[in-house]
Amino acid sequence: MSVTNLLENWSQFRHFHPVDDKPHDPYKWAMSIDLDTCTGCNACSVACFAENNIPVVGKDKFEHGQQMHWMRIERYWDEDVSNPGGRDFPDQGAQFLPMMCQQCEAAPCETVCPVAATNHTPDGLNSQIYNRCIGSRYCSANCPFKVRYFNWYDYPTDDSVWPAEMNQQLNPDVSVRSKGVMEKCTFCVQRISAAKITAKNEGRLVHDGEIQTACQQACPTNAITFGNLVDTEARVHKQWEAQRVEIDKDKQEKDEEKGGTDLRGYRILEELRAYPSVMYLERVRESAV
Amino acid sequence: MLGCLLTWVDCLLGELLTMYRFIRFSTLLVGLFVAISGFAADSTVATLTTPDDLGPEVKQPIEFPHDRHAGNHNPSDPTKGGMEIDCQYCHTYARRSAVAGIPPLQKCIGCHNSIESVKDKPRIKQLFEAWEAKKPIEWKKVHDLPDFVRFNHERHIKRFVEQQKRPTQEACGYCHGDVKNMTVARRQKSLSMGWCASCHEKAHAVTAPGGTPIGKQAYWYTFQKPAAAAGATPDAIKAQGPNDCWQCHK
Repeated sequence: MSVTNLLENWSQFRHFHPVDDKPHDPYKWAMSIDLDTCTGCNACSVACFAENNIPVVGKDKFEHGQQMHWMRIERYWDEDVSNPGGRDFPDQGAQFLPMMCQQCEAAPCETVCPVAATNHTPDGLNSQIYNRCIGSRYCSANCPFKVRYFNWYDYPTDDSVWPAEMNQQLNPDVSVRSKGVMEKCTFCVQRISAAKITAKNEGRLVHDGEIQTACQQACPTNAITFGNLVDTEARVHKQWEAQRVEIDKDKQEKDEEKGGTDLRGYRILEELRAYPSVMYLERVRESAV
Repeated sequence: MLGCLLTWVDCLLGELLTMYRFIRFSTLLVGLFVAISGFAADSTVATLTTPDDLGPEVKQPIEFPHDRHAGNHNPSDPTKGGMEIDCQYCHTYARRSAVAGIPPLQKCIGCHNSIESVKDKPRIKQLFEAWEAKKPIEWKKVHDLPDFVRFNHERHIKRFVEQQKRPTQEACGYCHGDVKNMTVARRQKSLSMGWCASCHEKAHAVTAPGGTPIGKQAYWYTFQKPAAAAGATPDAIKAQGPNDCWQCHK
């Protein structure tokens, strides 16, 4: 291995999935989120808590950075030029960005796990195996999106997050994680599995729209689209194609064009070559009223 | 000058790579050792497995005679043999959901209401007492997989019973043992991950032409470096069965 070879073929060395001999077939789960329709209502986050047995940690633990929300709404403000030295978090003008695990194709978290508890599935998901995790937290340190959450406490027993009878609302298709385990958004893999089994029983592939993630289902403005990127009929595929965002590129062709395009699709921290599976559609409005 | 520098950087990178591999491997070994010794030392952890790998003995509220219900006919003395009832008559959800299900009391009463000859037997009396009191029988789970495992009965029944037309008792027996000769069901297999894989590796071998040693490692397949899987055929990629952790773990 020479340096030139390494540099020139960097994406081949770094890029684990997909490659020509291992294409995504028949599934590659991907998402697109339209920030123009997102109102920052947090319904997706709540739905995620309910679906995935996520503990609500409370204010104290939140302030210690021990929050567990797999789906969080990030807020950004334009610099307030008219009012220099104003408040850090003004009441108005926030832009919202739902942020969860980007299911990177070349995920930085996967390469550093000492016990291979997080790895790639053939359908392009970044899996997290709770019973294999030893809690080194290296993956979280290496995640550029900071979307991995660590169980600092045994929430079900010590903290009694779900006291008796309330534990009846836990989703049986998702593990209740114990202390010392890393967890993150799974693209609602339990729903994907269920749909795949139904499809297999009927001898077909999963239809577009058959799987809805919890966040997508709860979104009042349909900002979130989820589906199979390989399926040319899928809505998510059409959106990615229309926005000319390609999953296996770290620099999109449209960005090279002189004068730019008016396409809104982009992926966060694309230049890090993690190849995220979530495309965001930029907000059209200049700023909020 | 530049070439010299490049060669030097090249060497350094090579060194680093070797070191990285070594460190990664040794971390794995140390991690495994710590995990295993930690598990062995902590005896307060509820035992999922026993020395014979078959789990703890389960005491059922009624000693249910599987042999009488599912066992073979005894032509010489019909009062002694079994009734040859299909497993799926009572465990009816196996063919259409992830779990096989324990039959509700209605199902027991449905038959036993009209079987006068055994109504005075103590176990049947217990059954009717519960029925009159409108209380379910609290059967204990024998084949209790850990919560982080996703197992689907439906897929297995579809494959073995519906597609391959094997007898139900044979198909169920792969995991549940010879239930028709038991009274209260006991675990006969370890139900460990390695045990699951022992079938799935056989049935879903992933092979590559050219001798790339990825065969029979279906669930390891996705960990292979692209170079190692270079000879893999498209068929190999489409191999059915669990070839990533999330198909069975949740």
